[in-house]
Amino acid sequence: MNEQQQLIRDTLNRLLTDLCTPDVVDKSEAGTFAENLWQALTETGLTAAGLPVEAGGSGGDLEDSLLVLREAARFAAPVPLAEHLIAGLLLSEQGQSIDSGPVTIASGEFVISADFSLSGKADDVAFARWSTQVVLVAQGPDGLKLCRVPTADVEIVQKNSVAGEPRDTVSVNTQLSAGSVFSVDPQTPERIRLMGAALRAVMMSGALESVLEMTVQYSTERSQFGRPISKFQAIQQQLATLACEVAASQMASHSVIESFSTLNELDIAIGKARIGEAVSICTDIAHQVHGAMGYTMEHSLNHRTRRLWCWRDEYGNEREWQMLVGRHFSNQGADQLWGAMTAL
Amino acid sequence: MFQGLTFEPFKLPDEAESIRQEVREFLARELDPGTLPNSDFNAGESAEFSRKLGAQGYIGMTWPKEYGGLGKSFLERYVVTEELLAAGAPVGCHWIADRQSGPLMLKFGTEEQRQRFLPKIISGEYFFSIGMSEPDSGSDLASIRTSATKTDGGWLLNGSKIWTSYAHTNHFMVTLVRTEPQSENRHAGMSQLVVDLSDKNVTVTGIRNLSGEEDFNQVFFDDVFIPDDMVVGTPGNGWEQVMSELGYERSGPERFLSAFRVIVEFAREIESNPSDEQLALLGRLAAHLVTLRRMSISVAGMLGAGRMPLTEAALIKDLGNSYERMVPELVRLSVSGNCSPRFVDTLNECILHAPSFTLRGGTREILKGVIARGLGLR
Repeated sequence: MNEQQQLIRDTLNRLLTDLCTPDVVDKSEAGTFAENLWQALTETGLTAAGLPVEAGGSGGDLEDSLLVLREAARFAAPVPLAEHLIAGLLLSEQGQSIDSGPVTIASGEFVISADFSLSGKADDVAFARWSTQVVLVAQGPDGLKLCRVPTADVEIVQKNSVAGEPRDTVSVNTQLSAGSVFSVDPQTPERIRLMGAALRAVMMSGALESVLEMTVQYSTERSQFGRPISKFQAIQQQLATLACEVAASQMASHSVIESFSTLNELDIAIGKARIGEAVSICTDIAHQVHGAMGYTMEHSLNHRTRRLWCWRDEYGNEREWQMLVGRHFSNQGADQLWGAMTAL
Repeated sequence: MFQGLTFEPFKLPDEAESIRQEVREFLARELDPGTLPNSDFNAGESAEFSRKLGAQGYIGMTWPKEYGGLGKSFLERYVVTEELLAAGAPVGCHWIADRQSGPLMLKFGTEEQRQRFLPKIISGEYFFSIGMSEPDSGSDLASIRTSATKTDGGWLLNGSKIWTSYAHTNHFMVTLVRTEPQSENRHAGMSQLVVDLSDKNVTVTGIRNLSGEEDFNQVFFDDVFIPDDMVVGTPGNGWEQVMSELGYERSGPERFLSAFRVIVEFAREIESNPSDEQLALLGRLAAHLVTLRRMSISVAGMLGAGRMPLTEAALIKDLGNSYERMVPELVRLSVSGNCSPRFVDTLNECILHAPSFTLRGGTREILKGVIARGLGLR
């Protein structure tokens, strides 16, 4: 981690400790957007880390922005940092700057006419109800168009994920101005999916780290049979397994971070598949060690585990990405399997 | 994050990558096409192959030139070892001498010992075993009872070691013994001795493993005379010396590649018309392997920089061994009928060896204990 990244992490840690308390996460689930948190993140430039300065960003490396996402996930921050980043990157490619947002991204079926009349629908749009704009890709008469739509002009049906985070259905039937429509290449939807998978992988690794810390901490505080449960071998062995999976997730997440700027499909697929698999094992152990206390809404373990259960399914679950990885290696042929692995 | 659980990304340097092609060409030339490749480092041995490997400079390659080594980096060695395992080469004869006995002598041995043993390890002429476990001492290594008592000019060794791979064909064994009676400090009073396995007072009895092979043994010592100059390091310092080997012993590619040939044959089996399920399984196994390899290379980087990442090494071994055990279990259910004999043989060989993966070099339970200590729980 370089000096700039260390600085980002320290700033974030202070900010999230103050403004992303379990109470703020609960209130978000109950319907109140974490406005103060988003504002503070915006003011410190953290919502736009990695975006070019001329596009309204804070500059810096793309790696910085992924670091922000990972740290925020440790606190279960109920804000659409990932969606805002994807939207910002797509807009900056068009020479556009992103506003303070939050801006979200919608993946669905949209059509736009030659005179910029846009219609269509997308499900599971993160934080749509609290966003200022929705960025989406629509089929135009002469190829794909990136569209920027004010949220005020779309119809929103509210829905929540298993984590209690907004995943709204967005319907659009509106007239856009020429300045909000940009021609993009045919790979754009796939690039959005890859970016989404990469960001979810990184977020999962952050949340998993926090789950390990919480679980180790809890095991030293909870006493049964006259001693902390951390002193029992049965618990120690479970926690060691948890640590193995978290360490593997960290490693996979590093590779995803490194390959984000080039959107290396294979590395992202490996990361999303491997970390997603770790989620099943880690959430199982974390809840078992926390006992009934961890099963309550009151305990903030669920802020992490429910997000993990949501994120592992978004932008492709393990199986979808495993198939992509499998197809890559299968195409190389059995005798080239090792060569293909060491070439990564 | 917890200390000892942080794996920084590490890229193998160019000189390590450049040796890779050279090793591949050597293996294409020298591997016997009539032998089924097996990636388990303990499943195949060929003295002839080890000698060829030695002649190529691939044994003891990191050791100083004065002993016949090439002074190569630890990371170059990493590439050579992973290439050997991935190809399923018969590395059993020289593996321990190259990984452990030689480095031990470089670190703790006398100049005389280095002169005597290292050149012949390098040329593939001297093969070493490890003498640790005893009939009553497995995971609880500090409870060993095999002992050496001081006599004129040396030590008299009595007792027995067990599960000693290749003791019947190897030349020497670095043996951990008590040289002082057990005291309150259980780890004190142990020493490492080099035992000549051809000594007439050493008896080697084969033990048949469940796949029918007689690769490991019980070794009996009956007043074996060990001259003073065959003590490695300081008498009484044996425990610390053994512990210092663990970072190397536990984090290498042999801890997650043992089942690799099963994946290769699985890929061959499904090559022409893979189902979605089979592709997903191949992808799942590959995602694990790529990640484990990156972790192992990260530790290799730490070791190369002179650090001693013991918790990380234990973690890689535990995670890697679980993976090795999982591979054949998942693969066997992913294919149905009409499999090639080559696939079936590779799979069955792996299944029969798999129980040893999570026992040798520290059981799963011991490793998890080490990790738990890294988490501050013990």
